Amino acid sequence: MMQGIHHNFDQQQAPAFFARGPSPLARLAFFTALSLALMATDSRLQYLANVRESLMTLLHPLQVVANAPSQAYRFTNEYFSTHHYLLYENERLRKQALRQDIALQRLNLLSLENTNLRNLLQANKKLTETSTLGEIMHVGRDPFTKKIVVNRGKNHGVVTGAAVVDATGVVGQVTRTYPSSSEVTLITNKSLAIPIQIERNGLRAIAFGHGRDNTLDLPFLPANVDIRSGDRLVTSGIDGVYPAGLAVATVSEMKTTPDSPFARIVCIPTGGIENHRQVLLVSIPRTEVETSDDSAINEKNKPLPVTKSGAGSLMPAANPNTKPVQDSSKKMTPGAAEQNPQKPLPNNQSAANASE
Amino acid sequence: MHQNKFKSIYLSLLAAFICLLFPWSGLALTLRPDFMLLVIIFWLLRAPNQCSVGTAWFMGLWVDLATGGIFGQYALAYTVTTFFAVIYQRRLVLFNSTQQLVYVFSLLFISQLILLILKTFASKEFLGWSYFLPSITGVLVWQIAVTLGLNTGRHSRGK
Repeated sequence: MMQGIHHNFDQQQAPAFFARGPSPLARLAFFTALSLALMATDSRLQYLANVRESLMTLLHPLQVVANAPSQAYRFTNEYFSTHHYLLYENERLRKQALRQDIALQRLNLLSLENTNLRNLLQANKKLTETSTLGEIMHVGRDPFTKKIVVNRGKNHGVVTGAAVVDATGVVGQVTRTYPSSSEVTLITNKSLAIPIQIERNGLRAIAFGHGRDNTLDLPFLPANVDIRSGDRLVTSGIDGVYPAGLAVATVSEMKTTPDSPFARIVCIPTGGIENHRQVLLVSIPRTEVETSDDSAINEKNKPLPVTKSGAGSLMPAANPNTKPVQDSSKKMTPGAAEQNPQKPLPNNQSAANASE
Repeated sequence: MHQNKFKSIYLSLLAAFICLLFPWSGLALTLRPDFMLLVIIFWLLRAPNQCSVGTAWFMGLWVDLATGGIFGQYALAYTVTTFFAVIYQRRLVLFNSTQQLVYVFSLLFISQLILLILKTFASKEFLGWSYFLPSITGVLVWQIAVTLGLNTGRHSRGK
């Protein structure tokens, strides 16, 4: 028996008693210290962002290789998709196109009307968002965070902070960009907040991801808040990140407990967070916001000195003379001016101007 | 001979890394075993002079990069896990296959536990007990590999 064990030790080429370098404990200490230092650097300082980016470029070919089998499978699947299915899909798409055409005509009319009204107001032109179509490469590998990786990156003009949208609603926000891919944090991630508005009554709030299951929370709203289950949440657009009016979620549960002053509101995202492949990366050009803002301020500085305070602007504008006052309010709160082009005009104002 | 071994070590690590890069999603993602750690443990048993704590740390960095988390999390988890594997390496080679399975399971479990602790420090929520499923699937993969004839060190005395 004993001999057998000794025999074992002699034969295996495992730890030689000589020449085995530093002891495991020393190695453990060294590499643990190194890892801890790395973690501290990466989480607190920005030095490693560039390193990560260049390493990701290195990693890209491997990613393409890893994606190849599923890609090939999908390709062949599509290639051999049945005649019947294609006919069905064609039919469905035609119907959809018809429906959307009608909506589009109305939209044209509305946007024309809107431009007219804005011209009357001399308000800032509504910003045109730039958008890129991307395809989801893979779901994030870290089970603790809700992320996806899409196949558009810096080389395609994607910037951090761009909103990610699919056909049914908001999906998330770009949080990291690499040269040819970018990382999108989903709205269901715990650390992501999105300013929303209840479609029914215009109530503004901020929705947070729940983190564990695919839901959103609306925290810190009083128990008597006017929200019912079934209410649709849309982006309010006051953050300057998400274009206004995109569908975000539907309220699925609204609970009040006597021991808490806040209501517990659970919402289910409308965007196909888990099941779509194509997404749209929408970024609002920030520089344009600033320039148009500046021009508004400059224009405003030239004509008559500002006499009235922001309080005057709260009154509905009944005649053209009040325009400069409105501009002045913008100047005084640049943040509000930035948000303004996003927001639909208050009804009374546009009505007042339309009647001129 | 050594050159050959080095080559096969790094090729297998690369293969494990590509396995990690596959577009896993949904249930497959929650069940996905830690291929990288399995391969590292295998080489720790078979060639502890060529593959050691340093290798594990280095591969952990790549896994960190691929998962998009903070650098050093997987590296630390792999480092500590391989430390335990290296300490008991000589005993491990003598284990029978059931003992070895239990041992591999505990190693996988340790690495997940360390990751969980690190993530908790980063104020992430515990995902429920299904978080530890990859350890179980990892052991299954190990057993399948052994059944298919992979020599995990126990029978290496003949070579």
